Amino acid sequence: MSEGPELSDAEAFAAEHALGVLSPADRAEAERRMAADPAFAAEVEAWRARLAPLALGVASVPPPAGLWPSIERALPANDNPADARGLRLWRRATIGSLGLAAASLAAAVMLANRPPVRVQPQAPAPVLNASLTTQGDAPVPLFVAAYDPVRKAMIVTSLVKPGADPAHVHELWVIPADGKPRALGFVEPGKSKSIPMSRDLAESMAVGSSIAVSVEPPGGSPNRNAPSGPIAAIGRLAKI
Amino acid sequence: MSRVAAGDRAALRDLYDATSAKLFGVCLRILSSKEESEDVLQEVYLTIWRRADRFDAARAGVLAWIATIARNRAIDRLRSRGPTAYAEPIEDYEFPDAGPGAEALVEAADETRRLQGCLSELDDRTQALIRTAYFGGVTYEALALRMDAPLGTVKSWIRRGLAKLKGCLER
Repeated sequence: MSEGPELSDAEAFAAEHALGVLSPADRAEAERRMAADPAFAAEVEAWRARLAPLALGVASVPPPAGLWPSIERALPANDNPADARGLRLWRRATIGSLGLAAASLAAAVMLANRPPVRVQPQAPAPVLNASLTTQGDAPVPLFVAAYDPVRKAMIVTSLVKPGADPAHVHELWVIPADGKPRALGFVEPGKSKSIPMSRDLAESMAVGSSIAVSVEPPGGSPNRNAPSGPIAAIGRLAKI
Repeated sequence: MSRVAAGDRAALRDLYDATSAKLFGVCLRILSSKEESEDVLQEVYLTIWRRADRFDAARAGVLAWIATIARNRAIDRLRSRGPTAYAEPIEDYEFPDAGPGAEALVEAADETRRLQGCLSELDDRTQALIRTAYFGGVTYEALALRMDAPLGTVKSWIRRGLAKLKGCLER
């Protein structure tokens, strides 16, 4: 049998993501790249399409008769095709096979893709708050963050039990409207701190900006532009 | 699909009637649990409903697109069960029968035959690895443990297999 052509590293990574063999951290990285790089996302989609016949080769089994009515009941009541426009912003973000970390990160990217809310320059700038919770059906708050526009600082408090998981550090990220995560520093379990922000970054903070905490090896994510570990908690800035 | 994207419930119902048995089979194959498969199948059609506007006919057939949604949702569910979900042994090498209802899915059957033909050109071990990964959501690390082989070796088996698969599909 003839050898197929070698896959480029990027395509191999896309194929591996479509197949589902990547570790949770690599899956998160692949989801991040899909959100940031349409060519890479197209590569993943192409591989999903290539592999889909595997699924289609499975024997059909009719689902129970009661399933359709429950699907119909669960459809949103106010079907507004205009909503679909908003969904377009979510392109490719969650269709993938996501682990928890990847899902959280993709959620962060998606939230960050929402258009920034313009803050009136003349209005007294309010403090924005965020409760950072675990993902899943029963979110648990793990961190509380507040952005102080006067001091241009993020004040963050860890609700994690002091001394928990000494092998890792908790790294704080903000994801402004451009969708690119920025590392803000570490938050020790049980501690509070005020983290000064650059003027540009501070000015990009708005209602809806995502804030997340990832679990990283000591020293933080080796990639300064994205978390390497799972997202422990995530939230969005809001006015109280 | 464009009718579904426009919010036409009857269109979603038609799609459900035509494809739910296939997708339920996919969920069952991955999850081996009727209850969980029903949950996931429901999520799948709600996802299709919300995302139909994103379907791109130039990129994939409708069936391939929705089968991928079903497979990925089922794998997500499998992974959420935790590490015990990965305790199953490496797959047998055989393809399951296409089963009843497949006649209606002629295009899918063609694509499946084609992929099956290309997979059969791979050695048995690589075929089994690819099928195990696809239906089990099994990572490189877990595959290496199961095969008792170095991670790098398993990785290169799969990468080579995928490259050959692509070459074959493009012939």
